[in-house]
Amino acid sequence: MSFVDIIGDLLGFGQLSAGEELIAAFIGAAIIGTLMLTNTALAGPWAKRKITAAFTDRIAVNRVGPAGLLIIVADAVRLLSKELIVPEEVDRPAWDFAPIVMAGSAILGFAVIPMGSGIQLADPETGLAFVFAVGSIASLGLVMAGYASNNKFSFLGGLRAVAQNLAYEIPLVLTGASVVLFTGTLQMSSIVQSQQAALLSLGPITIPAWYAFVNPFAFVLFMAANLAEVGRNPFDIPEAPTEIVAGYQTEYSSVYFVLLYLGEFVHIFLGGAIVTTLFLGGPAGPVLPGFVWFMIKIWAIFLFTQWARSAVPRVRIDQLIEIGWKGMLVLSFANLVLTAVIVGVTGI
Amino acid sequence: MSNPWIAIGALAVVAVLIPAGMIAVSSLLRPTVPEQGKRAVYESGEVPTGNTRIRFNIQYYMVALLFVVFDIETVLIFPWTVIYRDAVANAGLAKALGPMLVFIGVLVVGLGWAWRNGAVKWVRSPRAERQRVEQ
Repeated sequence: MSFVDIIGDLLGFGQLSAGEELIAAFIGAAIIGTLMLTNTALAGPWAKRKITAAFTDRIAVNRVGPAGLLIIVADAVRLLSKELIVPEEVDRPAWDFAPIVMAGSAILGFAVIPMGSGIQLADPETGLAFVFAVGSIASLGLVMAGYASNNKFSFLGGLRAVAQNLAYEIPLVLTGASVVLFTGTLQMSSIVQSQQAALLSLGPITIPAWYAFVNPFAFVLFMAANLAEVGRNPFDIPEAPTEIVAGYQTEYSSVYFVLLYLGEFVHIFLGGAIVTTLFLGGPAGPVLPGFVWFMIKIWAIFLFTQWARSAVPRVRIDQLIEIGWKGMLVLSFANLVLTAVIVGVTGI
Repeated sequence: MSNPWIAIGALAVVAVLIPAGMIAVSSLLRPTVPEQGKRAVYESGEVPTGNTRIRFNIQYYMVALLFVVFDIETVLIFPWTVIYRDAVANAGLAKALGPMLVFIGVLVVGLGWAWRNGAVKWVRSPRAERQRVEQ
């Protein structure tokens, strides 16, 4: 039974008519949207500061509320009530749409992610292709923001964002395709389903057949490409604070800045959700309910990106092109062919 | 089973409404005091010179062309990965894997050719070449 059907049941609709289905779908969508907003609100103004502070041996926010948690409310009010400064000669429609494109596309990606405990808004047969497609819309937002701002730093940031996405999109998608060789389907729920079997049994401990264990090489490749996709160290060159101020977001203030930031964080979580679904068994896990495991996994990947941000130096733009086209692309082709041969010969 | 694309469409609407709602709330809260100096674009505190509507060497147009080729090729690989297991079971390994190996082989040769011709290299301007001191 799908998530939308469950909501329809709770509303007492029984067999859904078209109008009722639309209502149930909107309520489901609102739940997913709120969930991701809550996650981001926790991650952006609070968790990110705390994590970075822990890595750099500081304390960070601790004045407002328990462990500084109420800083989320204070920051929300503060940022939304800031003046929106529109720079001279900005390209108006594009400059206004860019934050909406970035925030909206990242939220949209969660439509097909199985979050456990029956929470999956939609489960189309082409789920994986959909989530890759939606995930890369964000780079369109980056270019719009960079080009429309009429600022040289933004301009460079936007162009760098394109170079980066060109270099890492193909390794990302090809490595994703190597997982599809095992599953034989693009449907997200089936990809999770096919990771439930046991891979090894060591006494009382059973290692599940998560694709991170079945094909660790693909997992590492995917994690690296994912860091580039969401623009975090060592691949944060579209922002590169020490080189080009803040890249594409230099001229944004007030609510637009919030939206760009929100888009980035939701995108990190979306990347984490894709990794979780493809390689970490989705919401599977012992004892705790599936939804809790899903959250633990995407937060673990968020923690990983923040760790990389604190610990790994940035690569140069020309090095990025080299790593992407001469390293990652070749490795991802090797991974795809090797996986195909192994699956074909052994029939795992 | 309901049509999944209705729910996806609903989330697409919600995903636009959330930012739009935030912008609306913010426009009620925030002050607006436009001034000349405030609206200047940021150029490290200097008076900005010119704008960005210029011709600019993006340095990676060859890479962008390559990207189009490889992106279309991933579109062709995806259906193959979906049916691969069934194809191995029904038609045998050679028939399922062979053609794709040839296809990827052609692409890898193409990548090697582009590599040798310097297409996947960061193009430096002649001035930057002259200024370079160490290599």
